[in-house]
Order: sequence, then C-alpha cells, then structure tokens
Amino acid sequence: MTELSRTQIRDLMGQVLANQGKVLPDDDGTDLRDVGFRSLDFSELALRVEDETGEELNFDAPGLRRIATVGDVLDFLVELQRQ
Amino acid sequence: MSTAPARLGTSWLAGAGNRVVVGGTSTTWRDLPELDLPPAPLAVLAHDARYALAAARHHAVHGGELLLSTPGRVDEAMRAELREAGFTVTDLGADAGSVGTSGGAGAAGAVTPAGFRPVEHDRLWLLTSGSTGRPKRVGHTLASLTTVRGEQPARTWLCPYAPGTYAWWQVVTLSLTQPGQDLVVVEPEQLDDWPALAATHGVDAASGTPTFWRRTLHRDPAGLARVPLRQLTLGGEPVDQAILDRLREVFPTARISWIYASSEVGAAIVVHDGRAGFPAEWLDRAAPGRPTLGVRDGELVITSPHHGTGLAGPVHTGDRAQLVGDRVLITGRLDSDEINVGGSKVSAGGVRDVLTAHPWVAWARVTGRRAPLLGHMVVAEVVLTTAPQPDAPTEPTAADEAALVRWCAERLPDYAVPRRIRVLTEIPVKETLKSDV
Repeated sequence: MTELSRTQIRDLMGQVLANQGKVLPDDDGTDLRDVGFRSLDFSELALRVEDETGEELNFDAPGLRRIATVGDVLDFLVELQRQ
Repeated sequence: MSTAPARLGTSWLAGAGNRVVVGGTSTTWRDLPELDLPPAPLAVLAHDARYALAAARHHAVHGGELLLSTPGRVDEAMRAELREAGFTVTDLGADAGSVGTSGGAGAAGAVTPAGFRPVEHDRLWLLTSGSTGRPKRVGHTLASLTTVRGEQPARTWLCPYAPGTYAWWQVVTLSLTQPGQDLVVVEPEQLDDWPALAATHGVDAASGTPTFWRRTLHRDPAGLARVPLRQLTLGGEPVDQAILDRLREVFPTARISWIYASSEVGAAIVVHDGRAGFPAEWLDRAAPGRPTLGVRDGELVITSPHHGTGLAGPVHTGDRAQLVGDRVLITGRLDSDEINVGGSKVSAGGVRDVLTAHPWVAWARVTGRRAPLLGHMVVAEVVLTTAPQPDAPTEPTAADEAALVRWCAERLPDYAVPRRIRVLTEIPVKETLKSDV
C-alpha cells in the first residue's frame, strides 16, 4: 500500500486551503478555527489522500474528536493510513 | 424485392416507400429483407440494424407478439427469463451465412420457450433501459408507440438509438406510418462519425440524448454544423439550459425540442420554446387524449393515454421535479439525485447544471462520495471543451479543478460545492446513448 508522509499530507492540506484563498501556517500548533479549516475541508483533504494512495481510509476509526490543530489533522491522517 | 401484404389496412405501412439508409446503403421499408421468423411470442435480438428494421416491418405486416432488442441488452439471465415467459429467443444477423434475402431471411440459433402460452396478438414488448436496476418488460402496441399522427413536414431523420428502445420505436413508427419521413440509421460503430453520414444523406432532423449531443459538440463541432438540421430533439436524460443554448448557437434557426418519454409513460412532455423544463401552467391540466402532469413530493407524476400496458392512473416516474420560477425542471432520478452532506440535501442535477453552464465544461457527472465527518461529499467528473466558448477566459489546463470549484462556490452553498473534480478526456456513453448522469 502506498502511504503518504506527514509532509505530503501537509502539502495537500495547503492545496485545500489555497483553493479558497487561504494560507496554511508553518506552525502545526495553530488552531484550525484560526486557519478557517472546517469539516468540509477536512473531508476534502481525506479524499485527496485517498486519491493519492488509491486506498480507502477507514473513516470509522476513533479519534476524530481530538482534532483541534493543524498537527492533529496531519497526525490523524498519517495514523488513519495505517489502520 | 418483396411486397409486404397489408394486415391492418395501410396505416401502419403508409411510409413503406420512405427511404431508409442503413449500413450506408439506401433502400426503402418495402425493400428490406422479408424475414422468416419462428412463431410468436418471439424475442428478436438484432445484431444488425437492417434486421431490426425488417423485424419491425414484419410485425407491422403480420402482427404477433414481439420483443425486439440488441443482444447487448439481453444477458444469459434475461434470455432464460424470456424463455420462462414463453418467448422463443432468436438472434438475427449474428451470422451473415444464416441470413438470406431471396426466400426470406432466417433466424440463427432460435431457442424455444420453456412452455407454450397463448399469443398476445399485436403486442410489442420493450425492455426498459435498466438504468435504475434490471431491465423490465413493458407492453405496448404499434398504436401506443405511434405518438406522432398529424401531418408532418417532410424530413430525413437520423436514428442513433439502439433497436428496440422506446426512442428507437418513436423514430421507426414515425417513418413507417408517415409518408415523407425518411430514416438514416446510425450503427454503433458509426456513432462518433454520424455528422458525416448525416450530411451525406441529407439528414435534417435528429433526435438524441443530451449526452449524444454533448459528445458530438465535443468531438466534431464543425462536422455537426455542416448537417443541415431543421429539427433537433433531446430526450432520455435531464435536459439543461446549457445544452439547449449550445445547440442554438450552432443551429440558430432550427426548431429545438426536448421530450420527456419513457417505456412506461410514453411520450408525455414535448417542449419547443428552447428553454429547459416545461411551463408550470401545464401542471394538473387535464385535456382529452393528453397526459396530465403533476408534481407530488418532488416527484414527477404522469397520467397518460400512452402508458405501457398494465400501467393505469398516475404513474410515479421516479424523476425529481422542481418548480423554479415559471418552469418545472426535471433534474434527475430521485433515488440517485439526492446527496446528503452532513444532513444538508444536495441535488446532483442542480450541481451538474452549474458545472455545465461553465464555458469550459462539455459534460459533467455529479455524485456523492463517502467522506469522514459528513457522511458524503459532492464530487464530480467533467469533460472539458476542446474548443472553448468565445467567452471562456483562457484555454483549460490541468489546474482547472480549482477554477471550477471557485465557479461552483460562487453559485452554490458550501456543502454543495464539488470539492473533487476529475477531468475525463471523453464523454462516456452507453448503448442507450446515456451516460447515467
């Protein structure tokens, strides 16, 4: 299975935001609300990861509620690829 | 040449002298091969358009009980189902050696029915397109399929439809029953080059699905413009304003019509004013001999004198209908049109219309895709125009996804914007000329 690195997922996250005229900050600790990264954006990012890897992610996996920062998103998607 | 005996007077064969171009050869209904067919009930699987037409004429002359289809629409399970239902299933034109024209053309490989039953004389069976599941048999007669009866201006019609479909019978019955209605048949392998065939044979009227027209505008706009069309008809799929407008640009003086018709309800709506949808004032208006149209809980409901057999009263079509201003728009199938994005309902047809209104977009399909948090997200596939419209800002590039997302974001609520848009190189099309958008 192809797996994306944290850096690659970060690039995709940057694309999701750039398409809306927003910028992904360098600091992974930035709150998602400050970035304007919403549930629609998170879903789009997940689909982009799926498209890149050609594998479906297991969306039923636990952990979604802990996502509050940019780093949480990246960690979660890295982890989700391994489940 | 064989001369067909008249069975029901001459009305079903009033067009016997009309020109029929099939396989690139010009003939007439009268001069098509006389078929030597097994007894009814009979399911004819025509491998060749010539024999499909000959089977239709055979039925007009001799009656009997006939189901006509292409082999591609009848799999092994359907063959078995037809045998169980009392049909002899026969392939026609599969092997050139088995088909003669002197003493009558024979049927190859006829499979006898599981049991015998009385013949429903004059019955024609159609298979539904199966776009919403397994094809079903719907009973008609030549009379119920012949919906154009008044005197018509002389026309040469293109017939791109698969034999045995409702749309095919519409064009075929028109040519069979009306003098002056010639027919130019497009074989499947000719589908991409039909404008050249049509121009050669003087086609001035053509009927096709929106996918058919979009494919032609995409592949060969210059060839299409050379066809001297005076009548263009669209049907079989939702008809949006963008495709009507693009055809109007190519044919500014032709009559452009869209028709809502199906095996179940027959030809129920015909609109000639060049606008998508039909006038809201047509709703719930009863007139003798005409269908009554209604919208119930967002679904188009039709009571029609052209219903298939066994269907009576209001028929729930399964198609979504929306009142927008003074028009009723038919946007797609209810069971596939609605996408639930985190509890918000999105009409796939509505999003598709926004995409196809973009000057770069030649075709679009909109679906729901499973996604975290929201359950589903709106995604799309598009085919971009090879020749951008005059108002297109720039030539489309691989970066167009973002531009199309922005186009949608300016016109749709957040949750309805397709976030993933895949660019295809060709407009997909099935034998039914639909792409199941």
